[in-house]
Amino acid sequence: MPPSTDLLQGTLDVLILQTLAPGPMHGWGVAQRIQQVSKEVLQIGQGSLYPALHRLEYKGWIRSDWGSSDNNRRAKFYELTVEGRKQLETELATWERLSAAIKLVLGQEAQA
Amino acid sequence: MMRAWLGRMWFLVRQTLARRKRRSEMDEELEFHLEKATAASVAAGMTAEEARRQALITFGGVERTREQCHEQRPGWWMGTVAQDVRYALRGFRRNAAFTITVIATLALGIGATTAVFSVVDRILFRSLPYAHDDRLVSIGLVQSLEKQEFMLGGFFYEWRDNQKPFEAVAAQGTMLHACDLVEANPAQLNCIHVQSGFLPLLGISPMLGRNFLPEEDQPNSPRVALISYGLWQDHFNRDAGILSRQIDVDGSLVRVIGVLPKGFELPTLQVPDLMLPMALNEGLERKANPGTPMRAFARLRPGVSIEQAKAEMDPLFVQTRDALIPPQLRKDFHLSIRSLRDRETQDVKLTAWILLAAVLAVLLIACANVASLMMARGEARERELAVRSALGASRGRLIRQTLTEAVLLSFAGATAGMALAKGLLRAFLAMAPTGIPFLSKASLDLRIVLFTVILSLACGALFGLLPALQTPRAVALAARATKSRKRAVLRRSLVVGQLAISMVLLSGAALLLRSFANMEQQSLGIETQRVLTVRIALPGFRYNTAQKRMQFYLQTEAALRRLPGIRAVSFSDSVPPGGWHDDRRYSELAVAGKPRPEQGIGGSVISRGVTPDYFQALNIPIVRGRNFSEADRNGNEPLVVLSRLLAARLFPGEDPIGKRMQTGHDGPWSTIVGVAENARNGGLTEQDVPEVYILRRSVVQDWGERAQVGEGISGAAPMMIVDAALPPAAVAPWVRSQIAGIDPTVPVKIETLTEQVNRLADRPRFESALLGFFAFCGLLMAVIGLYGVISFVAAQRTQEIGVRMALGATRVDILRLIAGEGVRLIAFGGVLGLAAALAAARLLKSLLFNVGTYDPAIYLAVVVLLALVALAATLIPARAAMKVEPVEALRYE
Repeated sequence: MPPSTDLLQGTLDVLILQTLAPGPMHGWGVAQRIQQVSKEVLQIGQGSLYPALHRLEYKGWIRSDWGSSDNNRRAKFYELTVEGRKQLETELATWERLSAAIKLVLGQEAQA
Repeated sequence: MMRAWLGRMWFLVRQTLARRKRRSEMDEELEFHLEKATAASVAAGMTAEEARRQALITFGGVERTREQCHEQRPGWWMGTVAQDVRYALRGFRRNAAFTITVIATLALGIGATTAVFSVVDRILFRSLPYAHDDRLVSIGLVQSLEKQEFMLGGFFYEWRDNQKPFEAVAAQGTMLHACDLVEANPAQLNCIHVQSGFLPLLGISPMLGRNFLPEEDQPNSPRVALISYGLWQDHFNRDAGILSRQIDVDGSLVRVIGVLPKGFELPTLQVPDLMLPMALNEGLERKANPGTPMRAFARLRPGVSIEQAKAEMDPLFVQTRDALIPPQLRKDFHLSIRSLRDRETQDVKLTAWILLAAVLAVLLIACANVASLMMARGEARERELAVRSALGASRGRLIRQTLTEAVLLSFAGATAGMALAKGLLRAFLAMAPTGIPFLSKASLDLRIVLFTVILSLACGALFGLLPALQTPRAVALAARATKSRKRAVLRRSLVVGQLAISMVLLSGAALLLRSFANMEQQSLGIETQRVLTVRIALPGFRYNTAQKRMQFYLQTEAALRRLPGIRAVSFSDSVPPGGWHDDRRYSELAVAGKPRPEQGIGGSVISRGVTPDYFQALNIPIVRGRNFSEADRNGNEPLVVLSRLLAARLFPGEDPIGKRMQTGHDGPWSTIVGVAENARNGGLTEQDVPEVYILRRSVVQDWGERAQVGEGISGAAPMMIVDAALPPAAVAPWVRSQIAGIDPTVPVKIETLTEQVNRLADRPRFESALLGFFAFCGLLMAVIGLYGVISFVAAQRTQEIGVRMALGATRVDILRLIAGEGVRLIAFGGVLGLAAALAAARLLKSLLFNVGTYDPAIYLAVVVLLALVALAATLIPARAAMKVEPVEALRYE
């Protein structure tokens, strides 16, 4: 099994929001997508995925609806709300600033 | 009603349905995830079965995920609160004895504390209703005959102009005086004179209109007045145009310039109806000796203490005293500066502190009881907690459960306590003596309720939490409950503490009760049964000459004598045993042919102006010489009768009859005609005071302004003492109608002497009743605590008892074993309590009458009482333990 990296607290929420940005997706899809895009580095267990989805839903950033999946099975699809999209933008901006700052710090450390 | 109920039901159904739907949807979602994972593995080449197995393993605990998803819901924990409450209530119902005891204990503690605190709060803690009340002081002179600070015009202006420690100084008249509002709807009012600076000193501004201007506080200035809120409301129907009105006070027109704020009272705690400027002539007062008497108050400069103020004022005091007081009297005059609170609360303060201490002791006992009960319950539930923890309840959840129970109990206790406090407060007010300031205004204080609730909650929660806080021990799951030694020690010390505190309460109450009984049983030396006092407040402006007053009174006397069943009718200016009376200095008395007594020593002498029937009405025997006669009243010679005490002091070993004496510096020389037996005349608890009875003759000079009635209202009215053969209730209306026949407008107040004597005993009755009540509550709760501990210990040792009995111990041995535990606790608590009680008794000293603070009989009685009750509480569970069947005991648990 590929090594899993512990996710920073709160990072999972951004990942989910970002994953849902292109369009509605069910829980399994979200987990698979994150795993694929991160080249198997990030593995999201259902134990953290579903509580996170519910949390985001209660916050009003995503909403859910029952639809049918590829093989016509009933599944719950999540999609971003307008508010969720705004939240994603803020979170991304924050992330960018943060990672740039961390890069700076780490880079200077390397030079020293 | 029905609709609301249906609505509620529908809401519950919808809630339940929604919860069920959420749950099934979540299951479906998770199942979908699982299927996808399985499908992915199958696609990767696994067998369907293996793929499903792997997926399940990776998936982890479904129930946990479900829980976690549920916990994302905002406010999800509210559901568990309802659960906790339901669980707690079920537990309470299962264990009703425990629940009732805890709630009753809490109710008693909270109720008593709240009620007492509501009473003493105003006396001890609440700020006075004036601005900068912490800096307000009463200043003036005191001397042996007047212990309340007073001022004289000659002193006042000198002090006001030359003092340094005060921001402001102002004075009011010495007392309320009766004045008449003359109009279509006449009324007799209580009036007070104040200086223009008086209200600003207190930080009071009129609710309507304005304060007196300095120029209105001058002699011969236009007459103005402030009226009280009550008068404005009741008499003038809140007339908005009152400020432009002129009212007729005692026959002269006065302009109303303002209305005092609602609830305003003077620093002397009196409530005036009408306030007038003092309008003293400053120039004359400065030269006068000693000048107009008044009560002065001042506001200290910030940061100046009363001691500093006293030190700074002392030179000024000495200088004015030496200028104004004759040398022989000087050493009797002292400077006094007291905080206004001290002046207002006087000797009530001690009572208030004692009550507060007593009720806090009761609260302490109550808290100890609750703690002890909660601990016992906690221990008994240790296994249950361990089981719940093993079944997956988190520590937080267990603590929350315990807290829920503590809150529920406190809430129930507080509700019952509030009801109790309300009842108690009403009882206090009903039985309280009139002399306790602010009492009538006491009301339940929510802050205090909150405080006591939190306190009891804290003791309940703290001790209830002890078991829940510990990691539930695996051993607790074992078949036999294990005992924590440490907690048993804690519970025992709580019981010892409770017993000790109730010992202190009991001995305090016993001392007060004994003192009260002594007071009630003492012989007063006067007849109080069927004796009526009749006080008539003659309006001063209509009865403005001594002639008119004498005429009225003599006419009334004659009218009353004509009534059936009247044995004696007498005049006097005061009645024993307590209340107001006219005092003289002993050193003012002079006996013909003897040197005057040395100035400033000898204390005071009571003087009463009476008519011959006085001795008959009060049944005071004449032990020597004779009584005044009716003929003496019309004679010209001043006559006196001495009390035996005074006769023995003035004429040691001599016969005083026929000797002549002077009852004041400039009084007439009077002849002593008799000696009367001593009567209790210094109040119920104080030493008897020497007394001189002066004959009030039917001549004009004996009906002058000097005569006064009590209650702090000065007037020109002596009181009448009527001895009736018929019950007072029958006589009083006749007396009223007789007086109304002479002048229907004069207010008449009729009381029995018994009522007045009872009123003197009100304060001690109040004190001993309250302390007795608290002692009873304390003892009751301490005994409940003791009972609880002993039965707990007995239950704990059931198995041990079985083993002992199997090994040959007799039932008496078992009784000794269990009761011995109780006896040790009682002995320890008793000794501790006795020591504390002896130490605390000193505080009660000034409240006690004819009882030593260390009266051995009292302490013995209290020790015996406590020991007996406590032993009974021990023996009940010990007997139960004795009756245990060994076989059953061995099978226990």
